[in-house]
Amino acid sequence: MANTLISKLGALRIAPVIFTQPARTTTTKHYIPKFKKLRAQKVLKVDLPNPNEDISALSPEKIRQKMKERGILPPRQWMERPFYISATGGVFEPYVPPEGDGKASLVSTTRAKQAVQLLEKKSKSMMAIRKIKSFEEEFDQKEFVFQAQNTYIKAHESLANDDKRALRLYVTEKAYPEFRHNSRMKTIRWKFLESLEPPRVVHARCTDVVSKENIFGQVTVRFHTRQQLAVYDRFGRLIHGSEILAKDVLEYIVFEKHLSNLYGTWRIHEKIIPDWTPPKEPSKLTRVMPEPEPNIVQVESEETKQVEAGATAAAAPAIADK
Amino acid sequence: MNQLFKNLCLTNLKTNQLKSIHTSSSALAWSKTENIPKRFLRHNKKIYPPQSPDEEPRPAFVCHQKTNIKYSPDKLWYIASFVRGMTVDEAVKQLSFVNKKGAIFVKEAILEAQELAVKEHNVEFRSNLWVAESFSGQGMVIKGIRRHARGRMGEVRYQFSHYFVRLEEGKPPADYYKINPLTPQEQLDNWLEQMRKRKIINSY
Repeated sequence: MANTLISKLGALRIAPVIFTQPARTTTTKHYIPKFKKLRAQKVLKVDLPNPNEDISALSPEKIRQKMKERGILPPRQWMERPFYISATGGVFEPYVPPEGDGKASLVSTTRAKQAVQLLEKKSKSMMAIRKIKSFEEEFDQKEFVFQAQNTYIKAHESLANDDKRALRLYVTEKAYPEFRHNSRMKTIRWKFLESLEPPRVVHARCTDVVSKENIFGQVTVRFHTRQQLAVYDRFGRLIHGSEILAKDVLEYIVFEKHLSNLYGTWRIHEKIIPDWTPPKEPSKLTRVMPEPEPNIVQVESEETKQVEAGATAAAAPAIADK
Repeated sequence: MNQLFKNLCLTNLKTNQLKSIHTSSSALAWSKTENIPKRFLRHNKKIYPPQSPDEEPRPAFVCHQKTNIKYSPDKLWYIASFVRGMTVDEAVKQLSFVNKKGAIFVKEAILEAQELAVKEHNVEFRSNLWVAESFSGQGMVIKGIRRHARGRMGEVRYQFSHYFVRLEEGKPPADYYKINPLTPQEQLDNWLEQMRKRKIINSY
């Protein structure tokens, strides 16, 4: 009895090899291995392409090799950089809106200071307007202001209608991307209700670019209006504003014209956002807060320190030799 | 025979290059951008009309595809229909236990789509998604040659497949495949409804 038990245990001792390694019951091997080579020759090898190959992960040598295999020349590098010269890339001497404009009283220290500065700048504005008049004889501030408001409304309407072609007529190339920013795949409902105060020119500047004759004019117009805005996402869900809520909007819009250009037009160039603007309304879209990245605390072990010390010691004489 | 195949390939390549002036693009015939399905992803670009506040918000969805997988579309179909109507988490969990090559691709596609939904399609919670559509399609097929007896030839098809998935926001329907039959009460109600709906000709 005991003998058999021991023998069984012995068998178990050998057995684990079979139990630990899973044996395959099905094999793809033919039962006659004799004609294996001939059988393999029945199917011709085809070099299958890998359409989902990650090219960015390949080394440059590998890419070169692959291109050589296919006989493709490397793509020519794009050495050009586009420039647009019929609009400037910013606002020169921007207007500084007085603090609390539209609601606060005129009596405050910053307001008083700004009033003094404004007087100083006014003469410059007058000069600039005179210069504009030298190019554009029929330039009249009162008329211009209504023309500007019209442009302002048209620009916003074409943005809401997603009419890119029309938007280019009312907006300079610098403002175009800023206008279109974040408007992709969204439905915008915008409505201009009324003007609370008549728009007025608050600032004007002229600058020459590159040559003396190449002059750009920039005029800042103050709009105090009442508007409605509602933004819907792709699925028609409200993400910003409301269609039943009117809001008072105070804006300083810079209009620009390429004065030297015979066919130049006054277009929206930028919006001046003062420091004292109230903070933006948070988005109605809520998101799960991303988990904070774990702080990796690097602990320098003694070994690494020693290695580093050795490295600096080894490096130091090399520099000394030089 | 081997030589013959090589010659076939060579002529094919040559004609391919001669067909147009743009040699580079035709030489890159296997590139990703060409010959991949585009229609399914166009659903992602559709903009729906705004809803009024009293309406139930439209569930967000995202369409995603994985193209030219080296796998049979017929085999992939079984896996594709397996995950239909599951929540995303459930689908991923189930797929990790499916002992098939295609399950890996399907799982990857679902996870990618989930990521896209959160990043680009205004979905707040990544688990709040279900597999609304899932199907496979045939990709490119490369034909090889196989030798038969008496100097005959056979065709070997090296098939590639596409996998398409649409994830929708919200809870999945209780019984997507309608596996469970109706309860007796529901059956009776249905029957009554049917009886009441019938029209008796020339009655009035």
